[in-house]
Amino acid sequence: MIFVTIGSMFPFDRLITYMDEWAAANPTVDVRAQIGDGEYEPRHMAFDRKLAQNDFDDVLSRADFIVAHAGMGSVIQAAEFQKPIIILPRLQEWGEHTTNHQVDTANWLRDRPGIKLVETKDALFSTVEDWLVAPEYPDGALSKTAPPEFIDRIRGFLVSKER
Amino acid sequence: MRPDKIMAIASGGGHWIEMRRLLPAFKDLDVFFVSIAPSAALDVPEHRYYAIRDVSRRNSFGFFILILQLIRILLVERPTKVITTGSAPALVALSLAKVLLRAQTMWIDSIANVRVMSSSGRQARRVADVWLTQSPQVATPAGPQHWGSVL
Repeated sequence: MIFVTIGSMFPFDRLITYMDEWAAANPTVDVRAQIGDGEYEPRHMAFDRKLAQNDFDDVLSRADFIVAHAGMGSVIQAAEFQKPIIILPRLQEWGEHTTNHQVDTANWLRDRPGIKLVETKDALFSTVEDWLVAPEYPDGALSKTAPPEFIDRIRGFLVSKER
Repeated sequence: MRPDKIMAIASGGGHWIEMRRLLPAFKDLDVFFVSIAPSAALDVPEHRYYAIRDVSRRNSFGFFILILQLIRILLVERPTKVITTGSAPALVALSLAKVLLRAQTMWIDSIANVRVMSSSGRQARRVADVWLTQSPQVATPAGPQHWGSVL
């Protein structure tokens, strides 16, 4: 199963439309999507507007790989479940986000194992088709918590007596 | 001096996912959580959890409701420290906590902002006692500081 998610904050109809088109051409592949507040309703893949966290985790754990916007929530959760993820950044100029930070995020992440940046429909489709045969896996599952050094410094502030 | 009470607040999506990765930092401390999705409460079952309205600054009515929600939470809970991973609603919360309660505040800009500080993050400078970026390239000697990241 391919899980398509555009997060939960803003619609991202471009990605949902692309993947619905792909699903129409590949009816034997199970594709499901979280589409948020998008106007476009998929006709060729199962979808939810917004999954509760436990349902989201359940779908994520059953997915072969993820197709998502370049949001850190999606990227981190895919990494925690050791799932390959294809990311298409939202563009400010097309009204897909308030800034172009997803382009920066995507470029920063692009060379990591198990993460593939795509910027066009053609690149998206060809990566989906490649990964159906042989997904590129991350090196290991990301720990569910931040590195201990960072946790310790944050905790230092939380327990400090200065105020 | 009464013991510290901590408010941990994050918007939905990645902001909350980043906060979840910091949970070990709160072990055995008096902390409550604030975010957008009611289902986020399931991530912090041992703690009080408040869901607030998700608003952009362009929605002035929603923004007014959000301020009322935050003031109520702050007056009921009276946190002495506030920590956030963003975004706009959390900036409002930090500002109110500073003005109303003189709370100690920490802003951790989302790891999504790898090249420049977020807009809310830039404004947070004025109300954050500890002002952090998670991207080393964004840190400067005059701030924001880089202490590490959730990854």
